[in-house]
Amino acid sequence: MSSGIFNPEVYGLLFFGLLTVMVGVYLLLGYRNLIRIMLGVEVISKGITMTLLGAGLHQGRPDFIQALIVTFIIVETILAAVMLGIVIISHKIHVTLDIRRQSKLKG
Amino acid sequence: MGTILLLLLVFALILAVGLAKDLLKAAIALAAASVFLSVVLFHHGAWVAAVFELSVCSGLITVLFVSTISLTKDSDQNEEAKITGYLLPAFLLFFIGVDFFALKWIGKFIQPANEIAQAATGTAGFSAEFWGSRTTDVLGQSALILAGVFAILALFKRVAKHSPEGMKHE
Repeated sequence: MSSGIFNPEVYGLLFFGLLTVMVGVYLLLGYRNLIRIMLGVEVISKGITMTLLGAGLHQGRPDFIQALIVTFIIVETILAAVMLGIVIISHKIHVTLDIRRQSKLKG
Repeated sequence: MGTILLLLLVFALILAVGLAKDLLKAAIALAAASVFLSVVLFHHGAWVAAVFELSVCSGLITVLFVSTISLTKDSDQNEEAKITGYLLPAFLLFFIGVDFFALKWIGKFIQPANEIAQAATGTAGFSAEFWGSRTTDVLGQSALILAGVFAILALFKRVAKHSPEGMKHE
């Protein structure tokens, strides 16, 4: 790993953050189960938290980025709560979590 | 060096989320990844964010996931696209390559850390930053929490409508 203009810890945070986002997108695209898709969204949010921390450390503004990370965690939690509520409702209506079989969603 | 090892651990657990066949194990792996991410945050002085990550992400969200998994236990959770799990390690090499070149490319547009450190005027502390500079964010967060509560209430109201008892009355 070459760090270039970043110091090694910041480079590590940015590298693993972006890698985690890519793995999350792969999970979103590859799976059909709604709960697994939600896990993919959570994986992406972990990657974004790492990337935010790396960016804040590179800028030398840890307090500012801490405030942003706290905001992001709240957004992530509300998203998870609402999405998992939708998953439960969807399961009650369609009796499946497979997105291919949820034909009532078609417009 | 400690941070890199912790990040490797977090990433290994993230991969476990993708590779685990059982949804419950995947949710627990995600919670463990959150725990180690909060250690990384704590290590870098982001204490408040670390506490939030530990209590909310590895606590509350895991409870939500486990509840959802148990409430939808009778569904076809095992019928999954197995090929996605098998192909993940192969795609990982591709992702590492893309990541390496992306960071190299992004590095061209970013000011080096030593120049930023010279230009930095110092920070006022987390409380001043959060309650002073980011007041709009705090208002937005409050609105978001309210929106989330109302969304959950609305969703579970609709369940009553779609339930067999509700249909009998229609």
